[in-house]
Amino acid sequence: MTVEQADDRPRVLVVDDEAPLRELIVVTLGDGFLCEEVSDGETALARLRESPPDLVFLDVMLPGLGGIDVLKEIRADPALSDIGVVVVSAWQAQADIAVALESGADSFLPKPFLVEELLSIAEELAGRRR
Amino acid sequence: MSLVHRVGLVAGGVAALVGILFVAALFAILSLRHAESRESHSSDVTVATLRVRTLSADLESSLRGYVLSANPRFLALFRDARARVPGDVSHLRSLVHDDPPQRVRAASVAGELHAYLLDYAENVITIAQFSRAAARGPAAGSEGKRRIDEINGTLDGLLAAENQRTHRASAHAQSVTNVAVAVGIGAIVVSSALVLLFGAWVARAVARPVRRVAAAAADVAAGDLTVRLEGGGAAEVAALVTAFNSMTGSLELGRHQLLEQNEQLREGERHKRDLISMVSHELRTPLAAVLGFTALLLERDFPPDEQRRYLEIIDTQARRLAALAGDFLDVQLLAGGDLTLVLTSFDLVELVREQAQLFFLEPSSHHLVLDVPGEPLVIEGDRDRLSQVVGNLLSNAIKYSPQGEEVRVSVRSVGDDAIVAVADDGIGIDREDAAHVFEQFFRAADAAATVGGTGLGLAVARDIVTSHDGTLEVESTPGVGSTFVLSLPLGARRAVVGAEQNAPSRQ
Repeated sequence: MTVEQADDRPRVLVVDDEAPLRELIVVTLGDGFLCEEVSDGETALARLRESPPDLVFLDVMLPGLGGIDVLKEIRADPALSDIGVVVVSAWQAQADIAVALESGADSFLPKPFLVEELLSIAEELAGRRR
Repeated sequence: MSLVHRVGLVAGGVAALVGILFVAALFAILSLRHAESRESHSSDVTVATLRVRTLSADLESSLRGYVLSANPRFLALFRDARARVPGDVSHLRSLVHDDPPQRVRAASVAGELHAYLLDYAENVITIAQFSRAAARGPAAGSEGKRRIDEINGTLDGLLAAENQRTHRASAHAQSVTNVAVAVGIGAIVVSSALVLLFGAWVARAVARPVRRVAAAAADVAAGDLTVRLEGGGAAEVAALVTAFNSMTGSLELGRHQLLEQNEQLREGERHKRDLISMVSHELRTPLAAVLGFTALLLERDFPPDEQRRYLEIIDTQARRLAALAGDFLDVQLLAGGDLTLVLTSFDLVELVREQAQLFFLEPSSHHLVLDVPGEPLVIEGDRDRLSQVVGNLLSNAIKYSPQGEEVRVSVRSVGDDAIVAVADDGIGIDREDAAHVFEQFFRAADAAATVGGTGLGLAVARDIVTSHDGTLEVESTPGVGSTFVLSLPLGARRAVVGAEQNAPSRQ
């Protein structure tokens, strides 16, 4: 209890149906971030509304509610609209990137990604929120 | 009826009318000629009659001259005239021989003349030789005049009858000629009308359809191949219309086939593009894990247990890449028909158990419910390939159903077959998509949007099962779940694939 109160690290929600990819993001972010993982869109939205994080890493292809739908919900909700969202996708044609950015993503991270790139995006967006 | 037949018919009609015209003319000519000969005969009769009349006048005047003057010259004239009587009378009688009323008249002339000469003239001459005064008496004179008048009256009757006959004959000839001329004019008018009407009909029957065909041909030239002409009319026109329609029909069919081929090529192209895009997508997720964890391991220091865990992830994801590469290779092999089965006898139950353990490693996202018999079910087949099939069904069940749900796997024997069923409570497949799930690169739209996949697994699986003489089918209800049922023949395989396909025995 005291730990959580004292914890002022940026809070991150990692949404991906592939466990190894979630783990990769969590491990890459390391101790500087407080991470939580969910594997589908509905759970992600529920968790966001329950306790809004600073930053979301959002996979596009999710079972059930897709990543882009989750992103639109976030941007439509005043309580969540200022959360930083990084869309992560293996689909990376110009059209896919454009859809993500037009739907309100702060950044687009293609798979596979460089660990430094992911880290710098996370730090930049988290810093902006402070 | 064909145009040629109609032309023939009309020509026949015209010829018949011309024939009628000729017959009428011939008839008129014959009847004119008959009237002419009749006329010349009548004039002969008239001449002969007049001669007899002259003769009777000569007889009367010479007789009276002799009685009054007693001059023997008159008697000589009388004798001379009398000598001509038989010849002239018989000439007249022979001329009217074929005409009964005239014949009667001629005969009565002959009789009267005969009576005049014998009963009267000879008596008067005899009397005159004895007593001129007695012969000159009024009784004798009036008797002679009466008899001659009677003869002349009969002769006049004969003349009048002959005149009437001639008149009748020429009037008949005239009317026959009139009729012949009328018939001729009628035939000419009718045949001209027939020719004109027929010409108009031919123009209508040929020119109009030809114009229609020309207009339709112009439409075809402009690219409209759906043009069809209506049939009917003369046989030649109908044949033209039929030929035209079959031409446009085959043109349209040809174009349709070209369009279809084009569409197939395009479809193929799209498949290829989809494949490339899908391959790159499918490769990226495991590749991201492999590259990411490798980079982390190289850059950072982790405790040994964490290092080991990341290496295991790298290993799993690298294997996944290898499996994907294998799938693509299988597609190549199946497409080329180069799939070679390595046949061994093995226990299918054990194979399913193995695969289940592999896919439901603890901790697992889904609950496995395994229902297998205690005794082995031995089949003959390619163990690695069939492992691939079962593995594919299990990974699909996991992929397409929510975490925490059950996946029910059962193995049993039904008759001569071993049945493996894999059931999930996942998103299911709608009826239309179910017909396509075994096609290469097919992905149901909702699945493709949310779940990664190549659309190759089931296509490859079915090909493998089919080459084992087995079947792979799916039953599914959208939103409830899917059950894939794999059926394989129990026991030794029937000789070589492709040979003895119809052998009934499966023991």
